[in-house]
Amino acid sequence: MRPTGLESIRAAKAALAEVIFPELTSAFAQDVAQTVQMLLESLAGEWDSAPANLQHDNEALLQLLGAAREALKGAGRNESISSAVTEVEDRLGDRSDGLSLAELTARNDALRATLERILIVLEDITGAPGSEAIDAVRRDIYAHLRSVAVRGWSFWDITSFRGRMAEIRSPGMTGAQP
Amino acid sequence: MLEERIQAYLSQKLARSDAVIVSDLWRIPGGASRETWSFDAAWREDGCEVRRGFILRRDPDASLLETDRDVEFRVMDAVVGCGIPVPKMYWLETDGAALDRPFFMMERIDGCETSPTKVLMDPRFFPARERLAQQFVAVLARIHAFDWRAAGLDSLGVPASEAECGMREIEKWEAVVDRDALEPQPVLRAAFRWLRRRLPPPAQRLVLVHADYRTGNFLCDSEGEIKGVLDWEMTHIGDPMEDVAWSSMRPWRWLGDEKISGLMERDDFFRRYERAAGLTVDATAVRFWELLGNVKFAAILLSGGRSFCDGRTRNPLMALVGRNVGRLELEIMDLMGV
Repeated sequence: MRPTGLESIRAAKAALAEVIFPELTSAFAQDVAQTVQMLLESLAGEWDSAPANLQHDNEALLQLLGAAREALKGAGRNESISSAVTEVEDRLGDRSDGLSLAELTARNDALRATLERILIVLEDITGAPGSEAIDAVRRDIYAHLRSVAVRGWSFWDITSFRGRMAEIRSPGMTGAQP
Repeated sequence: MLEERIQAYLSQKLARSDAVIVSDLWRIPGGASRETWSFDAAWREDGCEVRRGFILRRDPDASLLETDRDVEFRVMDAVVGCGIPVPKMYWLETDGAALDRPFFMMERIDGCETSPTKVLMDPRFFPARERLAQQFVAVLARIHAFDWRAAGLDSLGVPASEAECGMREIEKWEAVVDRDALEPQPVLRAAFRWLRRRLPPPAQRLVLVHADYRTGNFLCDSEGEIKGVLDWEMTHIGDPMEDVAWSSMRPWRWLGDEKISGLMERDDFFRRYERAAGLTVDATAVRFWELLGNVKFAAILLSGGRSFCDGRTRNPLMALVGRNVGRLELEIMDLMGV
């Protein structure tokens, strides 16, 4: 089988680390090369899973928005709630099922934009007497946002910013004043 | 060649000197908001040979922070010699005539480290850890005791009252998110709402806030002596608790434990600060400012992503950070208690 996208990214990363990096003499160029390595690692980490994750997220967002609409319908009526419900209904009615990364991402952005607005409306009425349904949806929304946020690459965990810095072995760094 | 242009610039600035020679010019890694270059210069002055190390901070094509280099220069120049260790400032050029872009030059402080890896993990620095913790607190207290009015720094903009500090910073960073976010930001938007509803108590006094005070932004020697506080780009007049909370943020707990800036436990930091600054560390205020600090950091990363996508920079760091604010979102949600 021909090299996959993931294998190709890893090949680029390995070439950078094993061939190009040792040839670099300036601390700044080494730093940029390390950043590119991290960027490639970040891309490799989501290469296989990005479409499936987006599709899963989009389904979860549809469910959350549907639940929010039902909860808001029982929360009384004011202009803010009414327009939020209308926006959710418009979004739920907008069925696009493209499977390219660009289409899935655009769909995800649209759903998250509606979620962003709904979350603020929910925050305004959560905790009030009789708001159990609102509270439950709000809880579920934050749980979803956490599950997405934890997926990301970060300086502090995966490659570890500290680890990356420790890898820098340039005598020119001594006494640096960034 | 940059070296030759720096040489020509120095020859103009050091009018009483002759034979200015610039050497060992190299670009220092990092410096996501400005290009930072180190070089040596030698010249003859009144018959004597002078040799000095310089740092050049030049505006980048685009950066994580869109800040005014005049502010950084002016504030560092104002605090030098007032008990706050900073490099001596030499020249500020606000047009790009000499070196293509605006820049300033300052003293290079040799024999020190800034890298958290070195300062916190190099065994040479282990015996100095306690001294460094003391210094970290003492210098912060001195910044907060600085008489900014007498130094003419009210031109930075003064909050209308002690109660206004929190809202001013919310509005500043919400505007950055409005301007630079490329995607919906439900967590940041919920956080702004949370912050607006939980404004901190009025500042105990209006102080000069460094606004990026942490391990990694000062030069220290192996004795634990802080020789220079750097990166004053976000400095402003505000609530001292903003700095206390920023120093306490998880991203700066470099050792992976709960130690503030990798130096001391949170309660210890707060007690030391109270003694040194004569102010009370209010838990409610710190929670507000710590949450806002994480939001601000996320906003800074979003700005980096925006500058990359707009084609204003090809710096891969901007692409990397602009893609990765998830861990900050987790911290923000933890601090919100949701």
